[in-house]
Amino acid sequence: MASNGAALHSDTTKAHVSSAAETDNDDLVFLRRAARSLPPPVLKDLLSNGVCARCILKQFGQHEYICSRPSVTTPLLNVILREVAEHGDAGAANDSVGESKDMVDVEKELQEVCRVCLGILQFLYVDDNGILVKKSHACDFAAAVADNVEQGGYQIDSFCLLVSLPPVVVDNEQAVWSYIKEKYSSESWFTEKFPSSCITVKDFLKLSITNPLEKLLDVKCNENSFRVQLTYTLSDALSENEPISESNGCYKRRKIGKSLSCETDTLKNSTDLQKVENHDLTSNSSNGCKDDQAGLSKFPLEKVNGNGCCSLFFQCYKTSVYVGGRYLKYSRNVSQSRWIIDDERMGEASVEEIVGSNILPICQGDKYKFHAAGREDIDVENSILSSPLIVRMLGTGRPFLVEILNARQFPSDLLIKEIETKINSLESKLVQVKNLRFLGSQGWELMREGEAEKQKQYVALVWISRPFENEDEQKLSSVTDLKVLQKTPVRVLHRRSPLEREKIIHWMKIEKIAGSSQYFLLHLCTQAGTYIKEFVHGDLGRTYPNVGSILGCRAEILQLDVTDVKMDCFQA
Amino acid sequence: MTAAAAEDEQRNPDYNLRICTVIRNSTSEDSEIEQKQLIKEEEDEEDEEEELRRLLLPNVDELPQVPPSSIEANFTTFFAPDFMKPGHDQYVHRHANGLCVIGLAPHHVALKEKGGIVSVDFNVGKSDRSGIKVTGKRKKNAQHFETNTALCKVFTAESSYIARCCVKGSLLEVNEKLIKQPELLNTMPEREGYIAIMMPRPADWLKAKASLLDFESYRKLRTEQ
Repeated sequence: MASNGAALHSDTTKAHVSSAAETDNDDLVFLRRAARSLPPPVLKDLLSNGVCARCILKQFGQHEYICSRPSVTTPLLNVILREVAEHGDAGAANDSVGESKDMVDVEKELQEVCRVCLGILQFLYVDDNGILVKKSHACDFAAAVADNVEQGGYQIDSFCLLVSLPPVVVDNEQAVWSYIKEKYSSESWFTEKFPSSCITVKDFLKLSITNPLEKLLDVKCNENSFRVQLTYTLSDALSENEPISESNGCYKRRKIGKSLSCETDTLKNSTDLQKVENHDLTSNSSNGCKDDQAGLSKFPLEKVNGNGCCSLFFQCYKTSVYVGGRYLKYSRNVSQSRWIIDDERMGEASVEEIVGSNILPICQGDKYKFHAAGREDIDVENSILSSPLIVRMLGTGRPFLVEILNARQFPSDLLIKEIETKINSLESKLVQVKNLRFLGSQGWELMREGEAEKQKQYVALVWISRPFENEDEQKLSSVTDLKVLQKTPVRVLHRRSPLEREKIIHWMKIEKIAGSSQYFLLHLCTQAGTYIKEFVHGDLGRTYPNVGSILGCRAEILQLDVTDVKMDCFQA
Repeated sequence: MTAAAAEDEQRNPDYNLRICTVIRNSTSEDSEIEQKQLIKEEEDEEDEEEELRRLLLPNVDELPQVPPSSIEANFTTFFAPDFMKPGHDQYVHRHANGLCVIGLAPHHVALKEKGGIVSVDFNVGKSDRSGIKVTGKRKKNAQHFETNTALCKVFTAESSYIARCCVKGSLLEVNEKLIKQPELLNTMPEREGYIAIMMPRPADWLKAKASLLDFESYRKLRTEQ
């Protein structure tokens, strides 16, 4: 097809765009040709039954012609179709643009809401303030959408268009098709004129406005993290009048009115028209209902009265982005995540809040969520944060992700570095972060992968019930990949399954403490998921072997710190 | 600190090696800067490790001679003297999370006999207590017992005694090790020689607690005899 889909003579600015008069003569010729290919009886039939021009053309599989001409107005389309309906092929072949224009003005007054698409393809809708809005062509409508996007203040490099329609629209499409099939399938021209599948209202809408939107927003449409969502709903009053059948065959999708049909899909690469999904109306696949007649809108459809078109809700948002790194926790009085019991905050602060609250503003997001690869153990039951067995996170740090919801800005590397410095210079010095960086959604995979299999390194302050002997050092440092069986520790047994878990102690090393014969530092590297405290004191013998059993005496743990979380992510 | 210093060198043989290699390299300006950079990086790493060590090392003066044991630190221990029969002293270690570890108190008459406990049998009452498998977070299949339900029978050379629950609740586990190693009851009745773990409901615990003694009261009771 030789048309220049991009031959938009309308301005690409958001100013109110042209009326029909500026439509190119070329377009007019094409449209007339397209219209004349439609069999007049059907055309008349549909027009008189309140089906709008675009729906009709869509029904005949003519979407490509129409969607590539986004400045063609609704009234003009109506005029052309009516001409053909009245006069058939012979009609108005040589009318000039001027004469058509007069008829267009008349047409504008008569505009009815389409009974099939409920005004959606006529770019009629009720906005947030309850006002009926009439856009005459796709560019105009796209401009309104673009306006909304700009107001959000987002920094975007592409967008993804999502449309959600009331389910009854699909029913209406089905009804029209059934009606046409029933009435005209015996005609000779039937199979030629009617492709057995045509695109849906939803896809038609997307196809119409994607190109104009791309031009207005100056970015491409693709499957992306920035979502522009158009949600059409019916007002409650109207939905109650909808013809819902009593038949109990096809109730799966039948909720209309308050609940929306949540068909959000993405139009992949809309510029390639071939890839548009075809909606096969002959098989009502979405709810598995075989019988066309039962349970659906009946054609002719009811007239849509007054403000009976849909309400349109614009929404745009960013899917989550991530900032990742490693954190160190120097205080035993700081928990990893915000910890409130009975309205009272436990501990001085939390890593989550210190880190998250500094990152959120630079991304201009709505909220943040904190995720870490494991956590430093806290005896929640004791809920006494002064207990020395609250673990610190030292050494190389623990990998974490801050998820930012609906970020308006992607922070630059420099900005990220600044935030890292800022957090690390906080007066309290409770928490430090390392290797802070901005990620897409891959951060998630980085974290999840291998989290369970990785090793962790700790240092424990251990006391034994008799003085340290030389053989003790030997006994502990000779350990290589020791298998220990741990029954679920008593301190967590109330909320975890009673199981016996096999864990591996990879290696151990003693560091003697000058001035003490019964205390020493135990460095150990274990499989992720090992209960370290229980490995030291034995948990009433329910962890075996344990440090006490290896040394042949009683062992107690006074202090525990994590010095390394051996994962590949966010190393440097 | 010589031990630590020696370990340090052991841990960083590369460090020394790298420094030597760097120095031996060419003397052009570029590599001089590189040298300095490398040395600085190594120094930074060294500093970090020093810093880490400083954080980890405790202040020896502040360390207690004998620290509280894990049981003392995490449980509150109560005693049931003469439970149902004279001399049948039992203990209940109650964890902050509500779980109760049940066992024979050191003053239990069975432990005073010559030779102490020689065998333990969990097959008492209507079932073998060691056979129950409790699964899941909700502790399915756990049996609900009363305070006087029998947990196990312990045998000495001369006689036998029954150990009971002391609290009403679900039985989560019994210490199966006692079957093969009954001597644990003689050597460490309050730790590795525990008998069972129970999970009472809060209301049931309060009721049971009312008739239990805390450590001080129990000690007084037994030493005055």
